Amino acid sequence: MFVNPWSLALCLLSGITLFLILVACKTAVKVLRHWDPAADSQRQIELESEIWLSSTLVQYGLAFQIISLLLYVLAADHFSGMLSGAMCATGALLANDYGLPLLIVKIAGMFLYGLWIVLHQLDISSEKYPLVRLKYILLLLIAPLLLADTALLILYLQGLNPDVITSCCAVIFGEGDKGAVQNLLGRMGSQTTLGFYYSWLALLFVAGFLAWRRQEIILYLLYGTAMALFFVLALHTLIAQLSSYIYAMPFHNCPFCMLKREYGYIGFFIYLPLFATAFCGVMPMLIHLCRARGILAPTVARLQKKLVAVSLFALALYAVLSSYPYLLYLFRGGEG
Amino acid sequence: MRIFLEKHLNLLDYALSSLWRRKGKNLSVFFVFTLVIFLLASFLFLTRSLLVSAQITLRQTPEITVQHMVAGRQESIPLSYMGKIEDIFGVHQVSPRVWGYKYNEVTGANITVMGLSRSPLLGEEVLAEGRFGAQGEQGWAVIGQGVLADLDLGSRRSFSFFRPDLTLKPFSVRGIFAPQSNILTYDLVITGIDDGRDLFGLDPQLATDLLVEVVNPLEIATIARKISQVLPDTRVITRPQILKTYQAVFSWRSGFAAICLISALAAFIIMAWDKASGMAPEERREISILKILGWQTPDVLMVRFWESLALALVAFVSGTILAYIHIGYFQAGLFRSVMMGWSVLRPGFDLVPVVSGTDLFLLFSLSILPYLAATIIPAWRSASVATDSALRG
Repeated sequence: MFVNPWSLALCLLSGITLFLILVACKTAVKVLRHWDPAADSQRQIELESEIWLSSTLVQYGLAFQIISLLLYVLAADHFSGMLSGAMCATGALLANDYGLPLLIVKIAGMFLYGLWIVLHQLDISSEKYPLVRLKYILLLLIAPLLLADTALLILYLQGLNPDVITSCCAVIFGEGDKGAVQNLLGRMGSQTTLGFYYSWLALLFVAGFLAWRRQEIILYLLYGTAMALFFVLALHTLIAQLSSYIYAMPFHNCPFCMLKREYGYIGFFIYLPLFATAFCGVMPMLIHLCRARGILAPTVARLQKKLVAVSLFALALYAVLSSYPYLLYLFRGGEG
Repeated sequence: MRIFLEKHLNLLDYALSSLWRRKGKNLSVFFVFTLVIFLLASFLFLTRSLLVSAQITLRQTPEITVQHMVAGRQESIPLSYMGKIEDIFGVHQVSPRVWGYKYNEVTGANITVMGLSRSPLLGEEVLAEGRFGAQGEQGWAVIGQGVLADLDLGSRRSFSFFRPDLTLKPFSVRGIFAPQSNILTYDLVITGIDDGRDLFGLDPQLATDLLVEVVNPLEIATIARKISQVLPDTRVITRPQILKTYQAVFSWRSGFAAICLISALAAFIIMAWDKASGMAPEERREISILKILGWQTPDVLMVRFWESLALALVAFVSGTILAYIHIGYFQAGLFRSVMMGWSVLRPGFDLVPVVSGTDLFLLFSLSILPYLAATIIPAWRSASVATDSALRG
C-alpha cells in the first residue's frame, strides 16, 4: 500500500536519509584511507572541510530518523483504520511479518544515532579531532542498519492490503476479523512483577546517585547495564501492566494508543523520559572508552557526570508519570 | 546553557537580517513553497474532513446490511429471509428497506428515494421542520435540502413521482432535513415502505435490502459470518467494513494526489537547491569577511539552517492557513471533484475543515524536511569558499 500520504512520507524520509548518509559515507571512506592530521597537503585541507559537510549531513539524517520513528507509529495508527481486524496501531504493526522488526530496528537505530552525535560533539570539542576515525567507522556500521530500515519499510508497506468491500460476496470475514483486541504482550503476573519492577527502579536510583557522586568506571558500568535491562523491563511492564490503568480497560494493553488525543497524549510524556533516561544512562559507560585519549579525559568526565544527572532526572520523571495512572486508580479505591 | 542560547539567538538574528537583505530571491522561494504546501495541505485537510463526516453519518447506519445477489448482481430480497436472520442469537431486530433512484429529467439530478418500515434511528433533531410519518400512515415524505431545491417546491408541500407505468404517485411533505446532515440527506426522500414499493412497482413480498441491528457491537463480525452461512446467496456488509472502505478509498485518493504533488515538491526542491547554490559575488565576499572575523564553517552552516527553517516555517504557516480557508470558505473548489465524483446533486453539503495534529506533522515531514535536506550541501559549499580568492576577486 504505497499510494497513501503516510506511506509516501515514510518512503520519502527514508530515501532522503539514505541519500544524506551515503554522501557522508563517501567522506567516511576517504577519511579512513587518507586522514593524516600531521600533513598539510591539499587533500588533508579538503578533507577537513569535508568532514563538516558529512557531520552536518549525518546529524540531519539522524534527526530525520528520529522523526520517522514517530511518523511510523502514527502511520500504523492511521493504517489500522483500513485493515480488517486491526483496532489500533498494534494490529497494523502485526498485519505482516515486517512491522514489528522495523519498529525494533528504528528504536535500536535511535540509540546508535545518538551515540554517533555524542561522539561527534566530543570529537569537535578538541581541535585535533581525536575521534574522527572511530566516528566514521561507526558511521559505516550505521549505513547497513539504515539500508535494513529502508528494506523493511518497503517490505512492510508492500505487504499491507487494505480491506475494501468487494462486489462479489461476503469473502471479507477472514480470520483476522475476530473483533477482539490484539495485544503485543498479554496481561500477565501482577503484584510480583510490579514489585520487582519498582525494586529495580529503586536500585537504579541508588546506583545512579553513587555513579554521579563517585564517578568511577565500575559504577558507570553498573548503572549502564542496569539501565539497559531496565529499559526492556520498563517497556514490558508498561505494555503488559501499567497501560491498562492509562486506558482504564483491563484488556487493552496497547503501547501506542496512549500517544493519541483520547488519552491526553500522555504517551509522549512517558516515552520521552524513558528514552532519555535509557540513553543518558547507557552513554557514560560507552564513552568511557574515549577517556583513554588523553586530551579528551576532562571533557569526557564532565560529560559523563552531566549525562548521569540528566538520566536520573528523566528517570524520576518517568517513574512519576508512568505510575500516575496506577496510583490514581489505587487512590480512587481500586484494588491492586 | 545561557551562552549556547545567546549564540543561537545571535545567529538567528543574523540569519533573519540576511533573509531580509535578499528579499527578491527569498520571496520567490517563499511563494512557490507556500503554493506547494497549500496544495498538499488542502488534500490532507479535505481527506480528513470527508472522513470525519463519513464517520459521523455512519454512526446512524445499521450494523449489518444484507443484500440479495443473483448472478453477481444485486436483486430484491424476499421477506422470508428475515425469519432466518432473526433466529440468529444476538440479533436485535431486522427491518426491510426499499430504496432506489428517481431521475429528474428537468435538472438532470438523481434523487434517492428510501422507504422504511419504521422511523429511522436519526431522531427528530436532524429535521429542520416537521416529523417522520407514523406507522401505517400513507403518502408521507421527508425530504432533504437538495430535493427541496431540485423540485423547486418553494412553499408548496406536495409533489409526485412517476411510477414505472407512468402513473403519478403523490407525496405530501411532512418534514425537511436540516442542512447539518446534508452529506447524508441532501438528495434523499424518505417515505413509508409501502409507498416505496408502490412507487417502484415492487412485489409486497420483496424489499431492496434488510437492515440488521445487533445488540453487542463486538459480535458484528460473528453475526455477519453466520448470516452469510445461513443465506449463501446474500452479500453481508457491516458498518466497520464500510468505514474501513471509506478510509481506504479516501486515503488512496489523497495518496494519488500526493504522488502528483510530490513531483511539484521535487521541482520546488530543485529550484531551492539551485537558488541556494548560485552565489552572488557579494555573498562570497560576505562569507569571507565573516570567516576573517573568526566565524567557522559550522557557524555559517548554522546561519544557513536558521535561514531555511525560518523561511520554511513561515511558508508552512501561510500555506496551511490558505488551505484552511480553501476548505472552509471555498469548499475545496479546486479538488472537490477529485475526491467526490461528479454527480449533479451530491456536491451540496458544507465541508467543515478539520485540522488534526497528526496531519500537520505529516505535512511537516512531507514538505519542510525535504527542503531542509536540500539546502545542506549548497550551504556547505557557500561556507567553504576559499577566503583569499573571494576577497581578491
